[in-house]
Amino acid sequence: MTHRVFLLTAIGLLLLCFSCHLLAQESEGSLVKWNGYLQTENRLQLKGDNDFSWQEYRLDLKTEVKPAEKAKFYSEIWLRSFGFPTVQNSADLLDKNKISPLNLDFREAYVDLYGFLFNNLDICIGRQRIAWGTADKLNPTDNLNPDDLEDIWDFGRHLGSDGLKASYYLKDYTFSLIYIPIFTPAVLPRGDWASALSPSMELPTGITLKNLTDTIIMPKNNLKEGSITGVKISKNFFGYDFSLSYVYGRDDLPLARKVTFTPTSTPGEVNIASELIYPRMHIAGIDMAGAIADVGVWAEAAVFFPEEVKMTTDLSALGMGIQESIALDDRPYVKYILGADYTFKNGTYINGQYLHGFIHEKGNDNLEDYFMFGLEKKFFNDKLKIIPIDGGVEIKDFKDIENNYALILSPEIAYFPVDNAELTLGIRLIDGKGTTAFGRVKDKDELYFKVKYSF
Amino acid sequence: MKKCILQSVLILSMIVSLTQVWAQEKQLTASQILEKVDNVVNAPEDQDLKMKLILINKEGKEEMRELIMLQKGSEKRIAKFISPASQKGIAFLSLPDDIMYLYLPAFKKTRRIASHIKNTKFAGTDFTYDDMEAKRYSEKYISELLKRDESHYILQLKPKEGVKTDYSKLIMWVRADNFYPTKIEYYDRGNNLYKVMTREKIEKVGKYWISKESEMEDLKAKHKTKMILIDVKFDSELSDEIFTERYLSR
Repeated sequence: MTHRVFLLTAIGLLLLCFSCHLLAQESEGSLVKWNGYLQTENRLQLKGDNDFSWQEYRLDLKTEVKPAEKAKFYSEIWLRSFGFPTVQNSADLLDKNKISPLNLDFREAYVDLYGFLFNNLDICIGRQRIAWGTADKLNPTDNLNPDDLEDIWDFGRHLGSDGLKASYYLKDYTFSLIYIPIFTPAVLPRGDWASALSPSMELPTGITLKNLTDTIIMPKNNLKEGSITGVKISKNFFGYDFSLSYVYGRDDLPLARKVTFTPTSTPGEVNIASELIYPRMHIAGIDMAGAIADVGVWAEAAVFFPEEVKMTTDLSALGMGIQESIALDDRPYVKYILGADYTFKNGTYINGQYLHGFIHEKGNDNLEDYFMFGLEKKFFNDKLKIIPIDGGVEIKDFKDIENNYALILSPEIAYFPVDNAELTLGIRLIDGKGTTAFGRVKDKDELYFKVKYSF
Repeated sequence: MKKCILQSVLILSMIVSLTQVWAQEKQLTASQILEKVDNVVNAPEDQDLKMKLILINKEGKEEMRELIMLQKGSEKRIAKFISPASQKGIAFLSLPDDIMYLYLPAFKKTRRIASHIKNTKFAGTDFTYDDMEAKRYSEKYISELLKRDESHYILQLKPKEGVKTDYSKLIMWVRADNFYPTKIEYYDRGNNLYKVMTREKIEKVGKYWISKESEMEDLKAKHKTKMILIDVKFDSELSDEIFTERYLSR
């Protein structure tokens, strides 16, 4: 059924695109424009059995309509063949979705109205991406849209949110107000990465785990519980862009507030059931961007004021009673990032960032430090791009770096044989200690190959 | 006899006037010529241009980009790509005091870019961001008149102290009749001829002179970019608001 709906939707979209195209051909300067890209990506693990770890064929379709000077409609949809066959028995062979998993991702669809009511007021209504922050891809102040961590290597990817954005321009000040009525949780990474970003669970001595189940307690779908509000003021001072922001929302990654241990028939073995919530929080942010001499610089910081989340560990079935602790205390914590970039006379581009507090980290005691770096150079009139150095270092504890680090290196080469076509070959090498997020997946080195054609 | 005297007086006064004009032109200093170049090139209050950029490699293979460029005065410029599809929507805003922004539609983000990018290639063309910047030459260069022939002034421009550029000097050919620059040679830091820009199809559109076809050739890379103006509008009363981040993403 899902497959049929998907196919019908896909056919409908393609028909829409073709009709748009015909319309565009019929009248030059037509208001409807469409474009997009096809991207294929395969990843091969370099350790173990050399399994494929990723397979994605993505058709991106964008539609833009400008019926008037002061209005614009925009939408973006991904049609994807994503993942591997999940056939387990002969009955599954009748289900095309299990043979070739398909996926429809409704990324954005919104209407922009410029000069709405007042000449200086623009509003945007619908599913939209609101990207805040001046840093490169990792933005502590970017907290309106839910994180889309499906592909952990696609840093900065977020889902669109259904909401309203109003921007008011007064002289060189920009005021933004955002209202998102319904809370949407983050998409978690697939496979091993999901566990890498979750805090490790320590079991009482002598106890082994059989099954782990969880229940997510979503906020109620009402304005009080589910809505997210954000405001931002931006201005240029002495050649530097500054902005102050505030968000009242929720952490989009779940946090356990109750864990119940139940013994199985095997002595010393337990099942664990946990209950997870999305804590409410206030987030105040500041960012800047500018240049010192010829060097581009940026900085961004967000202060998180979370609600306190108490943790109940129910060990009563084991005869150990119920323990209370704090899963997230209400002390404010700060995530920040500092960065710089520069292009040398020979065209070599370098970029470096220092981040305190990764996407999934919360609470004063859990923020780690990351150094990201990149170097790239283009050759043959931009036909070839080589990124010999790209990656990062994660440090959990500066006092004992040897046992608390992870290193990621990801050199890449991209070739652009003709306009709109891009072939990319790269490798990801990970090393580190199991105490760190990236160190937990150190056996997941991979080779990747991407093809992208824009139309 | 009376008529003959009158004719002689008239001819004489015409000769005197022409001589004065010629003498005035002859006396123009290099900086005055450059000032006139700036005034001619930046004469329109604003410009609304649609252009085609044809990238030609050493084998003669061509690739095309299309963009819209708006300019107000000599200091504000916005450029937005229409094609190719991989660059559609990318927009570049240049403001006074080296303030530049780049809008990247794939990330829904406007990025502030620092001046280190100025001497890098603009979207794979042979023009640098610096070349694409709206500017007055007389504010950035010290000029010297090298030669004047029947049709052109030839100026040498050297960057003023403190000006950030990869060029050690420019040699500029300026049409003597209308002060429009027809050719510019760019020399690198080692004083080697690096790039040559030639301007053709110089026409008067309304009150203003403009080159409808220009070409920038990178002599080292043996690559050139031809810029062809498809649509030209002058003095459309472009608002200052267009040259802001607000409009960059539209």
